[in-house]
Amino acid sequence: MIKIFDFFAHAKSESLWIAHFCTGCCSLEMAAAMGPRYDWERYGYLPTPTPRQADILIITGLVTKKMLPALLRTYAQMPQPKYVLALGACSFDGGPYNDSLAVIKNPTEILPADVFVAGCPPRPEAIVEGLEQIKYKMKHSIPSAASQGGVWKEMKF
Amino acid sequence: MQTIQALFQDFSTLYIQEYKPTWLKVKLQNATDIVEVAKALQSNGLTVISTVSPTDFVEDNRIEMNYFFEDILTKRNCWVKVDIPREIEQCVIDSITPIFKGALWHEREAYSMFGVRFTNHPDLRPIIVSQDFYGKTPYRRDFDWAAHEADTLGNIQAIYEDFEQEQAQNETLLDSNSSQMILNWGPTHPASGPIRLKVHCDGEDILGIDPDIGFVWRALEHLVTKKDFVGAIVAVERLCFMDNINSMVGYCQAVEEIANVEISEFAKWMRVLLGEVSRISSHMMGMGNFYNSLGLHTAFMWNVDVREYFLDFLESYSGARIATAAIEPGGVRYTLEEGMLETLQKAIEKFDATKEEIRAIFVKNPTMKSRATTKGILSAQAIEEYSLCGIVARASGVKTDIRLDEPYAAYDQVQMDYVTQQGGSAADRLKMLFDEIEQSVAIVRQAKAHIVANIANGNFNPTKDHMVKVPKKLPKGEAISRVEWARGEVLMHLVTDEKATNPYRLKMKAPSFNHTMILGELLKGESLSDIPLIFGSLYICQGDLDR
Repeated sequence: MIKIFDFFAHAKSESLWIAHFCTGCCSLEMAAAMGPRYDWERYGYLPTPTPRQADILIITGLVTKKMLPALLRTYAQMPQPKYVLALGACSFDGGPYNDSLAVIKNPTEILPADVFVAGCPPRPEAIVEGLEQIKYKMKHSIPSAASQGGVWKEMKF
Repeated sequence: MQTIQALFQDFSTLYIQEYKPTWLKVKLQNATDIVEVAKALQSNGLTVISTVSPTDFVEDNRIEMNYFFEDILTKRNCWVKVDIPREIEQCVIDSITPIFKGALWHEREAYSMFGVRFTNHPDLRPIIVSQDFYGKTPYRRDFDWAAHEADTLGNIQAIYEDFEQEQAQNETLLDSNSSQMILNWGPTHPASGPIRLKVHCDGEDILGIDPDIGFVWRALEHLVTKKDFVGAIVAVERLCFMDNINSMVGYCQAVEEIANVEISEFAKWMRVLLGEVSRISSHMMGMGNFYNSLGLHTAFMWNVDVREYFLDFLESYSGARIATAAIEPGGVRYTLEEGMLETLQKAIEKFDATKEEIRAIFVKNPTMKSRATTKGILSAQAIEEYSLCGIVARASGVKTDIRLDEPYAAYDQVQMDYVTQQGGSAADRLKMLFDEIEQSVAIVRQAKAHIVANIANGNFNPTKDHMVKVPKKLPKGEAISRVEWARGEVLMHLVTDEKATNPYRLKMKAPSFNHTMILGELLKGESLSDIPLIFGSLYICQGDLDR
């Protein structure tokens, strides 16, 4: 039988809740995307205070060594299926903090991200566009990057 | 000034210099004198300590301690320097925390970053740095970072294990029959941002709080020493994105002082204009966050809506909404072109159209008043003791504002006055935010009118006057510059070496550090549900808390 339309994946993807967790300065543009001008709620995104009900974890920019265990723990608490969105240059290679003592240069090698949004910080429109791509992945039941690999599986947190 | 100068007759000094109109710069000969000097200064009215900042001179084999004392009533400042040996065992100085409570965390920071040990300090534990740096000295010039970095994953595991140990310790510390417990508030709490408060409570009542900070520690003060003088603004503006213009102004002023460059009048006015726009956008977020912590999101939505129009101006000027990098040593980075000021006019009109509604609904809100007027009250005495500044200080009736105390840029020509509230409660701090937005809009109007008038009569040339050339290599020297940032006083202490191409040391004193320090005092005896309210009202940003 050919599956034409996965109803449950479709339903899930149209109401994505985001774990409310700030790791760095990109969260300021995330707040702007929440605001009335960009208003990501139009597309069904909603920040939720608890990771237990969230579908998406956003790495908002830089991740320090001290923050990483908290980030991984938040990710682990989320129910399946779950996706990771990485904002800004920092989450890719450290960005402007590449030479810094405390910032992890490649947090997405530890916790792989499904979608990267470029910019320092990315504009709110770009953040919404990144979320839309996650929505596409969810709708088509494409497995998330973090479920397939990453250093985080071998770490204690 | 004379009276302070006379104080130092009793101590052996290497030099006493007048520095800037309100500053006295003194170098002591003996480090053992520092406590007596602090006592003498305090009894003469210099009751506030801005910060304690060591500078590491590897070649001279010494660490120079810098203390910045301030009298916030009569606006006098004293900068005391003293040398101590560099070897870890002998790198010891007496603590001034028993005299100045505000030095508590600043001395802990100096201990964690430079390994300076303070005798008689009540609570000398590492702060800000992550656990893998405990017992090390990351900010010293000869710290082998590459060797430390070799085992990053191991370091992260060490942080986790330390956390586990702490939780296990909490279990044994508390009596299992009592109702006492230790809660972690943050870093995933929606109102907290990246900070963890260890809350020791008995049922709902808070017995004590120990903030665990450093979740966004980016080691900015170390990062700038790897960049050139222009590249350093990238790190400086990331002190906190909410008001990035004013932190860049502070840094650029210090560079210009060492380079001995005077910027153009047009650039000075542009710094005022951009700085105030940036302050407005920060305060708008502050008001929104205050209401968010009360559980009401409407205020956030309304304020962010107005804020977007001010960001439009920053975008039309610099091309970026937030990371503008618009201020550079020598002036402002971009020329002012046609149409930019019209975007600003739109923002002002938008604010004028909505301000009465915001005032009526949010500032005079009866529910907010009954909730917040009795919470988080800070007396004027506590403000001085803990060196608080900015809107927190002014909400308690303390008249302190660097824009008026030590005018920089073109603030000496701006018509403005201190905005204060008397109560010192959380509600007063919210009112302060709104009053200051109104004040800033008034300043923006003045600056805009001044710039437009002077362009019209040919005094300013907006396509040429924005930059003065600053040499790439700077002479040996040091400078301090203070600016009134959105959250309070930012003090930048810049040290350069001979023929320097990059900063040798940059100390950034940021206000949220002191505001977090007082949390323990403020929350003791309150109930758990007051944490978000009081924390939100202090207008803390973790960016400048950790740096």
